[in-house]
Amino acid sequence: MAAEPVLRLKNIVKKFGAFVALHGINLDIRDGEFLTIVGPSGSGKTTLIRLLVGMDSPSEGEIWLNNSRIDKVPANKRPTCMVFQSLALFPHRTVGQNIEFPLKIRGVGAAERTARARELLELLRLPPHYQEKRITECSGGEKQRVALARALAFDPEILFFDEPLSALDYRLRKTLEKELKDLHARTGKTFVYITHSLEEAMVMSDRIAIMREGKLEQLADADGIYTRPVSRFVAEFMGEVNLFDVEGTAQGGLHGRGVEVHVNGQMEDIGISLGQGERGTLMVRPEFVRILESSGTSDFIVRGILRAEYALGSRIQYEVEAADGSRLSVEKLREDRYQGAIGDELVLGWDLDSTHLIRED
Amino acid sequence: METGRTTRIVLYAYGVLAICFLYLPLVSVGFASVSQARYLSFPIRRYTIEWYGEALDSHTVSSLLTTSFTIAVIVTVISLVVGFFGALAFARYQWRYRNLFQKFILLPIFFPQAVLGLALLIWFNSVGIIPSWKTAIVAHLVWISPITTLIIAIRAYAFDASLEEAARDMGASTWTVLKEVTFPLLLPGVVAAGLFAFLLSWGNFPLSLFTTGVDSTLPEWLYAKMVSGYSPLVPTLGMLSVLASLAILFAAFLVLILAKSFKQARGTE
Repeated sequence: MAAEPVLRLKNIVKKFGAFVALHGINLDIRDGEFLTIVGPSGSGKTTLIRLLVGMDSPSEGEIWLNNSRIDKVPANKRPTCMVFQSLALFPHRTVGQNIEFPLKIRGVGAAERTARARELLELLRLPPHYQEKRITECSGGEKQRVALARALAFDPEILFFDEPLSALDYRLRKTLEKELKDLHARTGKTFVYITHSLEEAMVMSDRIAIMREGKLEQLADADGIYTRPVSRFVAEFMGEVNLFDVEGTAQGGLHGRGVEVHVNGQMEDIGISLGQGERGTLMVRPEFVRILESSGTSDFIVRGILRAEYALGSRIQYEVEAADGSRLSVEKLREDRYQGAIGDELVLGWDLDSTHLIRED
Repeated sequence: METGRTTRIVLYAYGVLAICFLYLPLVSVGFASVSQARYLSFPIRRYTIEWYGEALDSHTVSSLLTTSFTIAVIVTVISLVVGFFGALAFARYQWRYRNLFQKFILLPIFFPQAVLGLALLIWFNSVGIIPSWKTAIVAHLVWISPITTLIIAIRAYAFDASLEEAARDMGASTWTVLKEVTFPLLLPGVVAAGLFAFLLSWGNFPLSLFTTGVDSTLPEWLYAKMVSGYSPLVPTLGMLSVLASLAILFAAFLVLILAKSFKQARGTE
């Protein structure tokens, strides 16, 4: 992957009247990467992509595409293309005419356009006779592929996606996520994808940027986001997580409400330590929490009562109420299912290396 | 089912009655136009088509038809242009005075036409314009443009704005977006609005009465002849007017079908 960014955002600010939608975004998008921008609704991700595509211009800051500044260039003059949430396929045109549209605008001859459309249909694994098919006759998944083919038609430098999968049912979405990742690998293009689903982001992306209230909260690969979130917000955004408020002790250890800490000394080595009186949040994902024998030991221990059990398919989730009333979740593979019953007293434990400490200002 | 059958019969009867109620008067005009007697009475003793021959030969009639047709065509064209862009402003774009615009554009429709005609006549006089068929065009436009705007706006409301944005994103200029995306998608609304505009202008009486000055349209002439000097030429011309309307409708229908088959032929090329 080239070190030089293909798209560079410098201190992007966007205001709508008195409302500040984006507070100085800095972001380098690498050539050929699959970057996903994730955030809840209202986090500014849609505003951001509209600026990147050129449907709106920033109040402050600069956007550079390779070596040219593009933040004042309108959408139709930019060598980028977006796949819309609604897909925006022209209902009055056939599949072929839709795919050829960007080429027709660029004055490409009819024969060449048809040939290119056929090539793209093949790339998207749609049969060639679809060229004559009406958009209204296509299924949801086929429409996705047609929209992708159309976006790729004029060979844009960057492809943007504005939650194109959000309207589809779960199974189809899962299939298309993988197809999209595969398409990215085959075309080698830079993909910038927007979604509110971190799960979707994790499946596809090389890097994930998390947005919150108009700011970039964290930029990392899927692993980094999942195991080393920079804030409670990011930690909680990705599904289930157990969080404990902790404070540094005079001995260099940690003291937390509702959690017994049985480690000393090595904490500093792996960065899980706080100065005396300093506050932080201890995080452990449910799948790392083990259900111990009553005499078992572990680096961290929580005692509680099993309150509920949920079947998640391949995994089972347990809800445990700790002594101080807080709730923990534990996940086990179906084959490692806990054999006891609701109401059992449990000892839960996990190790230092599956623990992460969140320091927030 | 017994009840289902009864319901069906009642519904059919209701439908037939409604159609009779709507169209029987028109049929009687048709009969009147082919009766040789000066006044219509059933049964008709002698049928004749001489009045149709007379109508087609008459200079008055041809000038009436020309005036009505010219007004209707010009009104259709202008009201479609105004209505198209008016509908975009009405339904598609957010702008400061949109709410106000949406309300004001509707007012002329609710204004009684006679009052509207009178108001326009007074206004033409006060600014020194002599009423003629040209001023009638202005009068018709005041009433018909809001209607075409509304009809096209209904279509524009159902329009997905991201289609235009997508076209733009793929490199289309403002003009290309209008030509390739906006206009084709609003076309069914434009065709419907055009038919309405033509037929409403063609058949309009109150506005024309006030604003045509010395010129006369077909409905005006029919009225004048009914008041003084009735002859079977009146129902004959009435029938001709209806037939002309039907011809326009039929032509529009044909154009739509041809356009569709042409498109399909091109698609399978």
